[in-house]
Amino acid sequence: MGPFILRRLFFLIFVLFGVSVLIFGILMSFSPERRAAAYITTPQQAKDLPRLVQKYGLDDPFYIQYGRWVGEVASGNLGWSLVAAQPVWTAFWMYFPVTLELNLYAAPLIIWFGIWLGTRSAIHRDDWFDHLSRVFAIVGWSLPTFLFALVLLMVFYGYFRIFPPGIIGDETALYIMNHPEAFTRYTGMVTVDGILNGNWRVALDGLRHLVLPVTTQVIVVMALLMRVMRSGMIEELSKDYVITARAKGADDRTVHLRHARKNALIPVVTVAGQLVAFSMEGSIAVEVVFNRQGMGWWLAESATQLDMPVLMGMCLFMGLVFVITNLVIDILYAAIDPRIRLV
Amino acid sequence: MIRLSKQLHRSIFVFLPLCLTIALLPSPAQTAPKNPDTFIMASYGTVRTLDPCVAYDTLSGQRVLNLYEPLVFFDGEATDEFIPLLATKVPTMENGGISKDGKTYTFEIRKGVTFHEGGELTAEDVAYSFKRNMIADPDGGPMWMMLEALTGEGSTRDENGKIRSGIFEKIDQAVAVQGNQVILHLPKPYPPLMGILAYASSVVLQKNWAIVNGCWDGNIANAENYNNPAPGHEPLQKIANGTGAYQLKAWEPSKQFVFERFDGYWGGTPALDTAIFKYVKEWSTRKLMLQNGDADRVVVDTPYIPEVKAMKDLTFYEVPQLAMTAACFCRKINPAGNPNIGSGKLDGEGIPPDFFSDMHVRKAFLHAFDRETYRDDVFGGLVILPSSPNIQGLPYHKEAPIYPFDLKKAEEHMKQAFDGRVWDQGFKMVITYNTGNAMREAAAFMLAENIMSLNPKFRIEVRNVDWKDYLVKYRNFMYPIFIIGWGADYADPHNFMYTFMHSQGVYGRYMGYKNKEVDRLCDAGIDTVDPIKREEIYFRLQDLWYLDAVAIGLYQQIDFRAYRDYVKGYQPNPMFNSEWEYLKRLTKE
Repeated sequence: MGPFILRRLFFLIFVLFGVSVLIFGILMSFSPERRAAAYITTPQQAKDLPRLVQKYGLDDPFYIQYGRWVGEVASGNLGWSLVAAQPVWTAFWMYFPVTLELNLYAAPLIIWFGIWLGTRSAIHRDDWFDHLSRVFAIVGWSLPTFLFALVLLMVFYGYFRIFPPGIIGDETALYIMNHPEAFTRYTGMVTVDGILNGNWRVALDGLRHLVLPVTTQVIVVMALLMRVMRSGMIEELSKDYVITARAKGADDRTVHLRHARKNALIPVVTVAGQLVAFSMEGSIAVEVVFNRQGMGWWLAESATQLDMPVLMGMCLFMGLVFVITNLVIDILYAAIDPRIRLV
Repeated sequence: MIRLSKQLHRSIFVFLPLCLTIALLPSPAQTAPKNPDTFIMASYGTVRTLDPCVAYDTLSGQRVLNLYEPLVFFDGEATDEFIPLLATKVPTMENGGISKDGKTYTFEIRKGVTFHEGGELTAEDVAYSFKRNMIADPDGGPMWMMLEALTGEGSTRDENGKIRSGIFEKIDQAVAVQGNQVILHLPKPYPPLMGILAYASSVVLQKNWAIVNGCWDGNIANAENYNNPAPGHEPLQKIANGTGAYQLKAWEPSKQFVFERFDGYWGGTPALDTAIFKYVKEWSTRKLMLQNGDADRVVVDTPYIPEVKAMKDLTFYEVPQLAMTAACFCRKINPAGNPNIGSGKLDGEGIPPDFFSDMHVRKAFLHAFDRETYRDDVFGGLVILPSSPNIQGLPYHKEAPIYPFDLKKAEEHMKQAFDGRVWDQGFKMVITYNTGNAMREAAAFMLAENIMSLNPKFRIEVRNVDWKDYLVKYRNFMYPIFIIGWGADYADPHNFMYTFMHSQGVYGRYMGYKNKEVDRLCDAGIDTVDPIKREEIYFRLQDLWYLDAVAIGLYQQIDFRAYRDYVKGYQPNPMFNSEWEYLKRLTKE
């Protein structure tokens, strides 16, 4: 397995090179003035556009601009994010923990519920439970995330006032600011840092702010996983080895959970891996409605404002995430199915 | 399993409809202040910098003007009257602070003022601040204003980005210290100077602190090394040490900005201990925060005003802004690969590049714009219809004649345009607006539909374009009509009339508009000190705006503000839009 992992990580260099050339090439299709416009916010500033083009060499040939960017990245400088008003690297460590924290809670729930619901649906195929869970999946999948998030916010914050938007309450935030010696930000994730500092007030406040975004994320994303699990289980349950197992006197629990479910998990692992990878980009709707500025918000704002250093940095990050995710998926394949060998 | 399934059943068929029902129910009112010592505001603008020489957006300016202070500031609602802040009095010709020729301004500096990090304010700090900011002069920054007033040059660099010869020496000589006085020497009288000195780029830094933190070292021979810092590389981008009533507690970009009361403030202790400015992009979230009392004020965009007005326990303000939006006619459209003018000829399938150079075409478009309907339907009446760029609230404003909505007259003008060929051949063109701006979108559609109703051969398509693309393309003369706004840098008609009407103005240039009399008057307006002569000049320019049918003045926005009713102390001023908040005046009662 060692050489396999090393080889895959080696290929990462080529993946990142390919992705960065592609994205850089796409961004070059915007005119130099359009790219310089990222530096201005008002019509008053527009008079300086030609000077900005000249200053940053935005009209230089592609290979020169790309080479300049690679040189900067190689020296550890990912550039300045105009959207975040700070260096890309610093901004990344501000926004990524927000997205990661949401996924830390949402991803296990999505995977557990998705597998459980899919398995039960397949076992009770065409039963009322199956119909119900399929309706649930269709509703969850087709429900606009933005609308669903808004409804939850209106009910639980607007009316009941129990789950406010944001990442942390004002009083807690001021408490942290006023007691820097008593609270260390280890990870940037409020609940995790609260636990690591032994400060339950902070951890619980962070958790309170996570309830609605996690609920939204779970209900919306789980549907796909549940559908894949269900169809995989149905297919496995119709195979000969299941009949053989039953003929040998295996009970339902053994047949369903030890034999069929294990084999049905292969496509589920693929989908779950992709979902987790995609979720690292953040969910724009969830982040905007619940006012948790994370990777989704940052990427969306950077794309609309053509904040090139962020877009390039993000493509490197997502390339890295997908390569590692696929690597983990391959390893899981081998763990689930002994016939698969990693060479 | 059956129990779980029943729960699932309930969650789908009961939970969601229940949620929707509850969401529509009125929420219990929030009456008492939640955080009596803290002011919380939610808006969707992002702060770019705290460095005064770079801060040119409203939000950065708001932060800077609460952390630092200028010599003078606007007196209440006035835009042309000032109160002293770090100066002891506002210089005038009467009190001898301004020389008779209008070229020397003398400021006595206030004593007993301390900076947040300690140290007392001196005249040397003031002079250093002005010089440092002008020397830095970043691209896209606000320093052109002070440079124009104090050196006669709009930039430290020429059009090719090279440093202008002798510019730093000019800056050095323009600002002098004499005892406890700071004296400004202008190359020629500059009437809007006092407004520029009230701007965020004119605040005072502590010299030693600034140098320690990487600003200009005070030696004019080294000035070039500190010129034009790249975005984010300005030394004071994220730190502050001013004399303002509030100091910087924390800034998490795009999340929140926290001010803390400065107990050593020279002007008395402010009422509120803390102020938190939160970034909340989504309107529904902001509205719920206001409703629940988690925000004391939120930024409300025009489409949402009616629903906010229906909310309880709020205090509303309507503040006309020194800003105007116009539909500008481009008289020399760029024909190269331009899809906005079709064939590029007057053949019924396009328009020629000089389409709007014909006065009759422009007048037809002006008569076809239904101003009153636009005001009532799009803004619910909450807007001012400008008669010229010398809008209400600016000195020397007058109600100039306008072209009333009259489709008959529009038709008559179209029949005369291009010797009748426009009417006979018809035309096809595109009107663009920047994506997401509902007010401009409505104006574009209204204009297009009314023009098309004149003659079935007239075809106008309306398209939206991303804002940054829009900026680039109108500057390349790509749009037959570009709809764009201008907000005041300072409250003087020069800032508007030059912009819209001078052949080198920011918009005049890209309209391809040139009238020698207009150019001469615009130049004379800024060079003249005598108010009576200035009035004559700007009255004439307002008439020429009408006579030349320069562009369609669409709207002068009225800013709408909603505070929780226990927040007091807001002082409206047309210079500041909805992102503005002057914290030292606020209380929660």
